[in-house]
Amino acid sequence: MKTFDLVVIGGGPAGIAAAATASKHGLQVAIIDERPTLGGQIYKRVGPGFKVKSAKEVGKDYFLGEELINELENSSVELFLETLVGTIENSAVVIVRNGESAERLNYKKLLISPGAYDRPVAFPGWTLPGVITAGAAQSLVKTQRVNPGSRIFFAGSGPLALAFPAQLSGYGANIVGIIEAAPRPGIFKALRILLAVIGNLDLMRDAAKYQFHLISNRIPMTYRRIIVSANGKDRVESVTHAKVDKNWRVIPGTEKTVEVDALCVGYGFFPSVELFRLLDCELEYEESRGGAVVKLDNWGATSVANVFGAGDGTGISGSYVAIARGRLAALKIAAELGKISDKALSTLAAGYQRTFSQRTKFQRAINNAYEIKSGIYELADNGTVICRCESVKLESILPVLESTIDPSVVKAYTRCGMGLCQGRNCQRQISALIAQKHGIPISQITQATPRFPTKPIKLGQIADATVTSEKYFIDAE
Amino acid sequence: MQQLPLRNTLSMLNNTFLPGYLSQSENFEELPTQSDVVIIGGGLLGTALSYYLAKSGVEVTLLERNDLNREASGTNAGSFHFQIALHQLTDNMTDADDKRLAEETKLMLDAAMLWDDIEKELDADLGVHFTGGFMVAETQEELQVLRDKQRIEEIAGLETQVMTGNEMREFAPYLAPDLSGIAFCPREGHANPLLVGPTYAYRAHQLGAKIRTNCEVIRIEQITGIPGFRFKIHTNRGTILCNRVVNASGAWTAEISSQLGLNLPMGLSGLHVNVTEPREYFLEAMVQHIGRRLTLKQTTNNTFIIGGGWPSREEKFPLRYSNFWESAAGNAAVAVRVLPMLKDVQLVRVWSGVWAYTNDFKPILGESEKIPGYHIAMVPTGFTLGPMVSRMLAEYMSQPGAKGLIPNEFHVDR
Repeated sequence: MKTFDLVVIGGGPAGIAAAATASKHGLQVAIIDERPTLGGQIYKRVGPGFKVKSAKEVGKDYFLGEELINELENSSVELFLETLVGTIENSAVVIVRNGESAERLNYKKLLISPGAYDRPVAFPGWTLPGVITAGAAQSLVKTQRVNPGSRIFFAGSGPLALAFPAQLSGYGANIVGIIEAAPRPGIFKALRILLAVIGNLDLMRDAAKYQFHLISNRIPMTYRRIIVSANGKDRVESVTHAKVDKNWRVIPGTEKTVEVDALCVGYGFFPSVELFRLLDCELEYEESRGGAVVKLDNWGATSVANVFGAGDGTGISGSYVAIARGRLAALKIAAELGKISDKALSTLAAGYQRTFSQRTKFQRAINNAYEIKSGIYELADNGTVICRCESVKLESILPVLESTIDPSVVKAYTRCGMGLCQGRNCQRQISALIAQKHGIPISQITQATPRFPTKPIKLGQIADATVTSEKYFIDAE
Repeated sequence: MQQLPLRNTLSMLNNTFLPGYLSQSENFEELPTQSDVVIIGGGLLGTALSYYLAKSGVEVTLLERNDLNREASGTNAGSFHFQIALHQLTDNMTDADDKRLAEETKLMLDAAMLWDDIEKELDADLGVHFTGGFMVAETQEELQVLRDKQRIEEIAGLETQVMTGNEMREFAPYLAPDLSGIAFCPREGHANPLLVGPTYAYRAHQLGAKIRTNCEVIRIEQITGIPGFRFKIHTNRGTILCNRVVNASGAWTAEISSQLGLNLPMGLSGLHVNVTEPREYFLEAMVQHIGRRLTLKQTTNNTFIIGGGWPSREEKFPLRYSNFWESAAGNAAVAVRVLPMLKDVQLVRVWSGVWAYTNDFKPILGESEKIPGYHIAMVPTGFTLGPMVSRMLAEYMSQPGAKGLIPNEFHVDR
């Protein structure tokens, strides 16, 4: 069984940067990703059979990503693509490659950069065909050049609420409207963001460019409005949106309905904390970075020995921070394994530390300006499906909330969270319902016990006939 | 031979819910200052006992430190195991073993009769289905065990059939065709373990039992001088006087009993369970293995639940037992060997529960002679037998002085 100096889980910006940097300093590195190509969400490559012809069309990020991926592919890092992580135990990552049986990758150091996923928001009609997340829409156009519809409406919040529609529109999508739940940035917020801008000018330029694109393409964008429902029989035919107060609660009587055939929902992201939780890494709660996030020191070390984290899976901070943190963690790991001196470490790290702190400041300012408000959890009505895997409606959940403050109990009684998505779609909503019902901050609601596998895996790939009960049970009594 | 009935509905996705929920405010009501009986533990045995006692008019208070039904009672797979199984066998079976197995099988039949009526008794849908159960054999030796156990079961009155070859393949075409044989027991089946205990508690509450969750017993004090009360129970929410106490705390039964100087012959182990994605419903009956660790069934939610005695890592309360990958790997291998189509079905989640067992696998049930008034309700095959032994104990406790209701070999002071 091979032991790697470093195993990296997740081939997005953070993971690629970390793996490439570590390899450059002489470490034996493996990188694991579930997709067939590297790049993560932001640097997602075009699908098989597609070719990039015009740089303008795909945007600047694409080439930044290509550069980073090339750096990795020209290194000696061992790639494990189309590979899922089953679990992590005894300093080994149990992986399952496409179609093959599970195997173990032993590591001296582990870096987890699993990325984030779209925040699911439950509102009447959110499970109708034609309603998709912003991330899914982005993947569709990036990899397959498919637009999600011919009349696309975009509801969301955050800096990407501008970027996604602009990007989609750049691909030729017909966007009929955009609503942003947060208010138009006021003078204070704008100032705070501006103060953080020093060293982040290119990001501001991007934002301005998106804004300009939307204006010049006459795409109507309104602030302080939220999605109320997606309407239609077999698929979305129209959407209703309404004005909200400062807590994003709907102001009755302000509803408007628009005919659409696709609705993209983008209210930010949740970090994928599953693997950190499985390893029992210490977490903290910060709403503006996506809720429960792993605690990291300045180098990216978690509270568990030899385990590091980087990227949006450790709290939403964007690709620039992700790359800087990935490189910083890799340098620290190289130093800990004696590949570079402490002096070299501080020299090499200086530039990345600067980027990390500047970008973090900027990202904080942005995140705070667009922090999610509790009204987002109050859109569902009694008949709204909360757990879409198990088809559990709000009306079945409400009575259970009377008797418990533990989401695991809600899960046990209603099956909410037992399905294929492993609770990713409904657990935050359940926590919010409990928090609201019992007057407890959402940050203090316990989460279901972490269990493997972190993604569904076929039994045939897990099965190992060499593990027999005779061999395995030392003492059955 | 009758063909195993197959339900052809594509999806049986039906969510069953409790008939009612004890509200948090009721759970948090003040502790009563006194109660004839105090039950420690809100698992299946404790909740069932509170129901049967309340039904007989006994004043009863149940104390649970967490939420109801959270440990073994809610983490097992909900199967009725009536057939003689692997853990009941010894290496060299003697006539005495045969006799013991026949006795144990009779007990299972009593339990089967309770499960027959439980939904009527509690007026609730508890997901009870009598689907039949397979016990499969891979080798000729294992097939012989199936035949031997069938003979004992017949004496005890439990119907089972042993099938081999084409008869087996016709009866259960989805099982691996090269199995050496199968036993089929039409009485076996399952209930939803997440609903049974809480429903007992809810019905008990309606009958006047006081159910208190988030109430942890810290100390059991034996007292004298207050007529009618033999114990003072100290909890994190105050004290309560009682005449009789029942320790129904499952895995923690020995720990709590040791406070009173009782040394119970029991041990703990973590058990691993797998659950898959849903697939079209076809596997009506539960599947067990006579020689390897496997229990397998398709639930009414169409998922497959796979377990059978693979270990998980022991942790201290309130941590949940954590899982070993090897348990999943070994368990999946047996499951795929027996039911080959499972190889393409995805594992969605594993979990684990604590399993408390006695050294002879018999229940510990009844009143201690060393400490009169102190009762224990603990049973290793807890889900199948739990409600039945609770009813047995309730009968004993509601007829003071009653003897002979509880088999001698369940004795607390053994």
